[in-house]
Amino acid sequence: MTTANLESGAESGTESGALNFAASLARSFAASLNVDATVKQALASIIQLLETEAGSLFLLDDSGAMLVCRASVGPVKIDGLSVPTGQGIVGRAVAEDRLVVVENAYEDKNFFKAADEKTGFVTRSVLCAPMRVGDKLIGAVQVLNKRSGHPFDGINGKDGNMLQVMANAAALAISNARLADQLVEQERIKRELELASEIQRSLLPLQDDDMPICGINRPIREVSGDFYDYFELPDGTIAFALGDVSGKGMNAALLMAKTASLFRCLGKTIRDPARLLSILNREICETTSRGMFVTMVAGLYEPSTGLLRYANAGHLPPLIKFPDQLYETVAPDAPPLGILRDMHFVDHEINLKGGLFVVFSDGLTEFRYGEEELGVDGLNLLLEYTHNGSLRGRLERVLAELDQGGWQAKDDLTLLAIDDHAAGKAWQREHAPALLAPAEADFLFGLSFPADPSRLKLMRPALEAAARACQFAEDEIHDLVLAAGEAIENIMIHAYGGQVKGEITLAVHRLPDGIMLRLRDFAPRVDTGKIEPRPLDEIRPGGLGTHFIRAIMDDASFIPLPDGEGNLLELVKRRRNAGDAPGNAGNPGAGGPDSKSGK
Amino acid sequence: MSVARIKEEQGKIVIALEGEIDLENAGEVRKTLLNSLKQKKDLLIDLSAVSYIDSSGIASLVEGLQVARKQKNELSLVSVSIRALRVLELARLDRVFAIHADVATALAAKA
Repeated sequence: MTTANLESGAESGTESGALNFAASLARSFAASLNVDATVKQALASIIQLLETEAGSLFLLDDSGAMLVCRASVGPVKIDGLSVPTGQGIVGRAVAEDRLVVVENAYEDKNFFKAADEKTGFVTRSVLCAPMRVGDKLIGAVQVLNKRSGHPFDGINGKDGNMLQVMANAAALAISNARLADQLVEQERIKRELELASEIQRSLLPLQDDDMPICGINRPIREVSGDFYDYFELPDGTIAFALGDVSGKGMNAALLMAKTASLFRCLGKTIRDPARLLSILNREICETTSRGMFVTMVAGLYEPSTGLLRYANAGHLPPLIKFPDQLYETVAPDAPPLGILRDMHFVDHEINLKGGLFVVFSDGLTEFRYGEEELGVDGLNLLLEYTHNGSLRGRLERVLAELDQGGWQAKDDLTLLAIDDHAAGKAWQREHAPALLAPAEADFLFGLSFPADPSRLKLMRPALEAAARACQFAEDEIHDLVLAAGEAIENIMIHAYGGQVKGEITLAVHRLPDGIMLRLRDFAPRVDTGKIEPRPLDEIRPGGLGTHFIRAIMDDASFIPLPDGEGNLLELVKRRRNAGDAPGNAGNPGAGGPDSKSGK
Repeated sequence: MSVARIKEEQGKIVIALEGEIDLENAGEVRKTLLNSLKQKKDLLIDLSAVSYIDSSGIASLVEGLQVARKQKNELSLVSVSIRALRVLELARLDRVFAIHADVATALAAKA
């Protein structure tokens, strides 16, 4: 469109000249892609063609209730001015969807005089046309004061027709530009999701077919709220976790990435799944937006012994499948992470004995065939069918069976399986002592408390009750409680230097012949060479406690922990009459042929 | 409160302790003993109401004993329960402290 055409069209003053102009205007508008530039260009052309002193172009906002000025030409700039639909001349044109002509502005009761008073401009006549694309109104164009000084032609007049034609052409151009903007935005979102998906996949552990553990993750959209992870610790123990984040989309994906990373970092030094979940829980509560939570199973598996310890934060119970037996599941005993800040989780210990341990997200058990869900029973059956082969082959076959059988996935699918049978054949025993309690230890309870001396009197009754439950005699019970108290006081004084904020945990296990206590602190490592009881002829405080411990307990040993993980003290006391089985103690007549009284 | 009562009898100060004496309140016991010793009188520590005592509590008693001896006063223990005696035995302090069955006996004993 050249200026020459424009002028000739205008000067000729004929309708055909104007229509030619409008047609070429429409062509150029259709090609433009930027809404703002389109709007300004449209208005400029309209004003020029209609030979008016001023004009403005309004577009409806997202609510459809307000008209916002997107361009204005003339002595007065009203860009950004908002007018409610129905008010003013431009509001009326849109509300009533018709051309509005006001030949004498000051005589029209709808005319807004205050603007003129402020700007000094004198409005004589106004012509306003709604902008429509198809049956949708998107705004209005308004022109003021013909240069010639004449009023505008009326509703069916030349000016009115031309303005309406041009308004509609402008509407089309603007509509196109908006569509183009939307397409660009959708492309951008798609690219972002692809990138997020790539990042998530990179967070999954590398599959190693030599390891007796295997995981599968099949998101149902680009980004998944599920994750799993596992890695081997220096002594051959495998730390593993599987989690499911609430919600969908980028928020869930980001929380998933954070949780997975935290697990990988903490899992390298924390040997207690319950404690790991506790720390993770606190972190998520503190730094995640409300309403988001993560269900998670975290654990440690020892291929050399088949022992497995795990904790469950609100997740679907793992499936434990012993050879030649029905499967088991254990319901979770704690809520998901991210709900209650100070949460105490519980460890479960099992010996897999050649069996299978499978953790999965509900995407697996909610596989659907018509109305029917796969469920845990279904999963168990599939695992039975696919008995032979490598672990990965087995899991892939389970999924293949579902896919080929016409089952529909409804959600992200994630599963993680540990095959103790494979480990039993493949793994050599490593040297490091197992940090899992021996299989015959029966975990009674655990306490966690700050390193504050006021807590000692709270711990004592519980331990006393536990010692009684382990069939110790009364004097042994007193000694045990004394020794434990001394050990805890040592932690408070030496490990934490009197700082009461540190955390101490006490785990009490019943042994067949006595009791085992595990005391943890999380202070910097104590040099065990420095812990020697003072000779008793030096009557001085400190050191006395250590002497008590060694005098009372049968075993007292520090178990070295990786740097930064604090100290672990394991104390064992055996019953004086340990020859009797529990239940026979104090009842000499009832003892079996092997029972002895006294050592 | 781990210190139940302080009174004077026949020129000696009798301090009755009670409850459980551990790291939480051993400091309070220590302070009480040392303060009382400023009066330069003999001390009798009545343990009849003490249900539990550990090395922290014992350490406070020991410190009191050392200060007392330095200023030529006596510090003896009274009404020591079986449990408390066990703790003293473990620390091999059962022969170090003078131990009496009750306050009356302690007051009657020769210096």
